[in-house]
Amino acid sequence: MENSPLPSHNFQDREGSWNPKVVAFCCNWCAYAGADLAGMTRRQCSTNVRIVRVMCSGRVSPGMILRALISGADGVMVLGCHPGDCHYRGGNFHAQNRVTMVKELLALAGIEPSRVLLRWVSASEGDLFVQTVNDFVANLHRLGPLGGSDGSAV
Amino acid sequence: MDLLSKLEQNGARKCVACGRCTFACPASQIGGEFSPRGLVERMILEDKIPPEKEIWLCMTCKQCTQICQFGVSFHELVREVRPTLLTSLPPEENHGGIPRVLERLSAVRKIRPSRQRWITSGIDIDQSSDTLFYVGCTPYFDVIFRYLRQDLLEMPRSAIRLLNACGIAPRVLMHERCCGHDSYWLGDVETFQRLAFLNVEALERSGVREILTFCPECMITWKQLYPKMVGKLSFDVRSVTEVVAKAIEEGILRLERNEEVYTFQDPCRLGRHSGVYEPPRQLIRSIGRLVEMPRSREMAACCGNSSFVNCNAMTRQWQLQRGKEALASGADRLLTACPKCLIHLTCGLAEGWVSMERRSIRIDDLYVIAASRLSKKA
Repeated sequence: MENSPLPSHNFQDREGSWNPKVVAFCCNWCAYAGADLAGMTRRQCSTNVRIVRVMCSGRVSPGMILRALISGADGVMVLGCHPGDCHYRGGNFHAQNRVTMVKELLALAGIEPSRVLLRWVSASEGDLFVQTVNDFVANLHRLGPLGGSDGSAV
Repeated sequence: MDLLSKLEQNGARKCVACGRCTFACPASQIGGEFSPRGLVERMILEDKIPPEKEIWLCMTCKQCTQICQFGVSFHELVREVRPTLLTSLPPEENHGGIPRVLERLSAVRKIRPSRQRWITSGIDIDQSSDTLFYVGCTPYFDVIFRYLRQDLLEMPRSAIRLLNACGIAPRVLMHERCCGHDSYWLGDVETFQRLAFLNVEALERSGVREILTFCPECMITWKQLYPKMVGKLSFDVRSVTEVVAKAIEEGILRLERNEEVYTFQDPCRLGRHSGVYEPPRQLIRSIGRLVEMPRSREMAACCGNSSFVNCNAMTRQWQLQRGKEALASGADRLLTACPKCLIHLTCGLAEGWVSMERRSIRIDDLYVIAASRLSKKA
């Protein structure tokens, strides 16, 4: 990840009706299984989400969240295990600290901190996963695209 | 620009391969593969830009150019080579690349940063003044590096307190963007250009006559880099140290002296890049005793990192070496006047240094220490 070519501003592909792009970092043990459950039980879920499976929400660094945003995502979700349920004892607390830091940085940078969301979703909470995603996407629809509506102004 | 003109323009054809630059280069001294002389030699002999990752080890501290007897601009050459390697052979970014992403986000026109939360009561700001105080990235650094130092926001606050004591109440920009310094030195020309135009555009109609910066990187960006990009600017750029030192000289400002002994780490952007050596020293002499480290002024050693790339055990080694030097000088505090020097040295010396010879030395910022000595009467 650190050595990949730097992505460029990608605000261009938004002609016509705009739809938010969401990157969701899902922890392998809870949130990813929760998303799986939502699919297996055929819940209707917003299709704007690109799920990235990570072994633990504590793996998600502030840099990863910010890179997702600069590479064209309008919002980033970090979904992990409930406090106390982390497969690696305390990874989700690391995630909490990091997301707090990213939100603070975004506020300084002039980006709505609500574009980044941290939620605890367990493997049995398929409904909660769907609910969280839908609410988040609805919020992004209200906020509009990151960096303005057209790429030309960038 | 083709390779030949890059070489010509930076005087690289005049290189006699004496190796002084490589001898002086921090990246070479700590055992890295990078060598300024080697770069020029290979570019001339192989007639292409050597595709090497070592190019990112260069700290652009200008030590090589300073020491060269034949006027070769090695650091400029490195900078010009970098854009061609940025995508094919990118540098290892530290801190997850956060500082760089923030810089690129602030180059988006519609995203308007609002970083003025550092302004607290007790500092005078006058939004109708024709002097602007440019803050730079320190509010971001405060969030990212809070685990290292809690006093980073005290730097701009103290700089303004000093200016207030000199009778200047500066203006600050409400939606200030990054200056783009790191993008420029990392070869990200596109981001730098965007930021240059956005920043100059924001200031041109505002009636600002002078920009004061406490960060040396913002200073060279406004003073030297923007004019290259957008032509001559209608305002002067000065470092806060210059203003404060002048006020001390004229007797406008008085600072309380005590017996503490200081040594000064010349930030490369303030020293070698801009030639401001004396003002910070005047400031230090007015608050205490100044002792010089063996490598100071033109020969000052770099703080060990630049643009938040390629930080590793070797840079740590370099910082440790610098720490020993500061300790040996007999000073109680190592002062610096650049937020990045402060962060890098604090980080590099957090371990190991204190236990040496049962003595320790604190690293602090010049503005913070100077502002704490403002006479209460004044």
